[in-house]
Amino acid sequence: MRAWWRGTSLVAERGLVENVRSRSFKVVTGLLLLLSIAAVTIPQILSGGGTTYTLATIGKAPAQVVAALNAAGKSADFTVKYVSRMDEAAIRRAVRDGVATAGLAAGTLYTASPSAGTFPVMVAQAEVTLETSRQLSAAGLSPQQVADLQSIRPPRQVIVGRVNDEGRAAAGLAVGIVLYLALTFAGNAIATTVATEKSTRISEVLLAVLRPSQVLVGTVMAVGTATLVQLLVLATPLAVAVQVTDKIGVPTVAAGDMGLAVAWFVLGFALYAFLFAAAAALVNKITEVSSAITPVIILLAAGYMLAVTVVMSDPNGGWGVALSTFPLTAPLAMPIRWASGEVPVWQLVLAMALTAATAVLLVWVASSIYRRALLITGHRVKLREVISSRPAS
Amino acid sequence: MGLRIHDVAHSFGDRLALDGVSFDVAPGVITGLLGPNGAGKTTLLRIMLGVLSPDRGEVLYDGRPVGEQDRRHWGYMSQERGLYPGMPAGDQVAHFGRLHGLSRRDAISRAHALLAELDLEDRWNDRTDKLSGGMQQRLQLATSLVHDPEVIVLDEPFAGLDPVAVESLSETLRLRSRDGRTVLFSSHQLDLVQDLCEDIAMVDRGRTVLLGSVARLRASSGRRQLRLHVEAPNHDWLLAYPDITVVSDEADELRLAVPPGIDPLEVLDAARAAGQVVDFGLDLPTLSQLFLTAADQTLDPSGVR
Repeated sequence: MRAWWRGTSLVAERGLVENVRSRSFKVVTGLLLLLSIAAVTIPQILSGGGTTYTLATIGKAPAQVVAALNAAGKSADFTVKYVSRMDEAAIRRAVRDGVATAGLAAGTLYTASPSAGTFPVMVAQAEVTLETSRQLSAAGLSPQQVADLQSIRPPRQVIVGRVNDEGRAAAGLAVGIVLYLALTFAGNAIATTVATEKSTRISEVLLAVLRPSQVLVGTVMAVGTATLVQLLVLATPLAVAVQVTDKIGVPTVAAGDMGLAVAWFVLGFALYAFLFAAAAALVNKITEVSSAITPVIILLAAGYMLAVTVVMSDPNGGWGVALSTFPLTAPLAMPIRWASGEVPVWQLVLAMALTAATAVLLVWVASSIYRRALLITGHRVKLREVISSRPAS
Repeated sequence: MGLRIHDVAHSFGDRLALDGVSFDVAPGVITGLLGPNGAGKTTLLRIMLGVLSPDRGEVLYDGRPVGEQDRRHWGYMSQERGLYPGMPAGDQVAHFGRLHGLSRRDAISRAHALLAELDLEDRWNDRTDKLSGGMQQRLQLATSLVHDPEVIVLDEPFAGLDPVAVESLSETLRLRSRDGRTVLFSSHQLDLVQDLCEDIAMVDRGRTVLLGSVARLRASSGRRQLRLHVEAPNHDWLLAYPDITVVSDEADELRLAVPPGIDPLEVLDAARAAGQVVDFGLDLPTLSQLFLTAADQTLDPSGVR
């Protein structure tokens, strides 16, 4: 086992280095990073941050109003500009012409329309607070008592409901989407590596030192790691944005659901990766890769479509149960079905066990194809040839 | 000691590729596995390397059946290029060294030494697919020798090489053989490797047709030819040797086939008695001539190949 692992990790190490060095990896990773940064920053730039309100007053705005509005602006993310006018008429003009959002003069608040948004309300609120404290002081309260009265806040709001189903469903769907995208990229890389080894006959030299399972598992590990790096690149700006501001709409997901999502991703990735590897072992020339892996891609796409349509609409119907148990569709269908919250645990465990067992079986099948297909060159190997007991030469 | 191939048979479907091949490869004796295309050479080498399993028979090393562990200490160069096209040349050699069990440091230092020996030291960082065909061939040799294998098996190492490359590869193999390594290579270009092999195993249609030391096989074959330039009026002196046949008779060269029972020196003496011998020589058969004779004898009774 240790020898098996040593050889496998050498294959994986070489594959990873070659993968990461390749131009396509750099280009794709760079694009993903740009895409991810854009996805996080563009909505920010378009929607928020930059809201600015303007308040017109006669002369300089009262310091207490400025302080109250600036404090509100900090918590609600807006900035306030202050413009001064000579008299009330000038303030009316400024508000009417849109130079100022609101105007304040001699106890009157000017706005451009009856419903001018939240800013005039805040200005009014600030004025009311100031006037209240002035009157409280006049009534003989000490400054401390006035301050205490002003610091009264509405009750704190704490959300104690269960993690909402929308969040769970989003996590389930995300597994499907991420798995589908990751496999589309990674499947191609795995198939190309395997087909390169076969078409350049490196496989023959490798098989004198290694077992086919070492070559295949090592290759899948290498491409899997590279894909993981790309996914992390894709996720990092999002994670940073979530840390820095709290305005990104990531649904809250329970840790258990997150763990399940990761487990399904790993299982689904392994399963399809070995399918891609087996398909690629059949080709003779590197140019045949795309046609050889088409059936696998169709299978993957069909599984995803069925999961999104059939399982989403009726998670616990006969089809839903069947699709979420059948190993080739389970990694795509079960996370979505699990979000419905009505899946018995034994079904989940069964589906995971079946998927894992199928992945192991596929390693064996792919290894056997790899070894047999090696001896057949000059034409695209038919599946029948490698399955029959003796390959024809 | 060495390698023993014992009664190995293998068939692909209905086609019999190997039909009970047996021979030995001794350490320090460069051995050629020779035969025409399709004779079963590659199949046999693949069986030795464990890439294929034989239907019958076994491969022994030092008297024991060869296992996976033994093969890790072997070096194998396949017929077609088994190199990663996008990998730098040096990394490639080091990688194969590590696959054969070397530590990273050992693998890198041996790869450097080997590339220097094979005249590729300044190509360490070059992508493999940017190297010329001859360089790739040498690089492939380096990947199979990097772990200093006890047993070196090469499938058609000379195919497509120019004469200079043939000579330098031969020298590399002679060096390893002199160090006591077991060297076996296959070739269909019999005359090209005639000078390199000490022992041969010649196969045709899955059977061994000729075995043993090249020098002895050539000397003891019945196909020696005596080449003479005699200034004699006629060939009457030849009448004393009815078994000798005239192969060709030109103005300055008389070519005689001397059967095994007759001493060529005796014939030379008779020629000298008849006239002045200006030039002479004894030609042993080439490996391809030996092969043709041997293959003829093993033809099916029906004569159908």
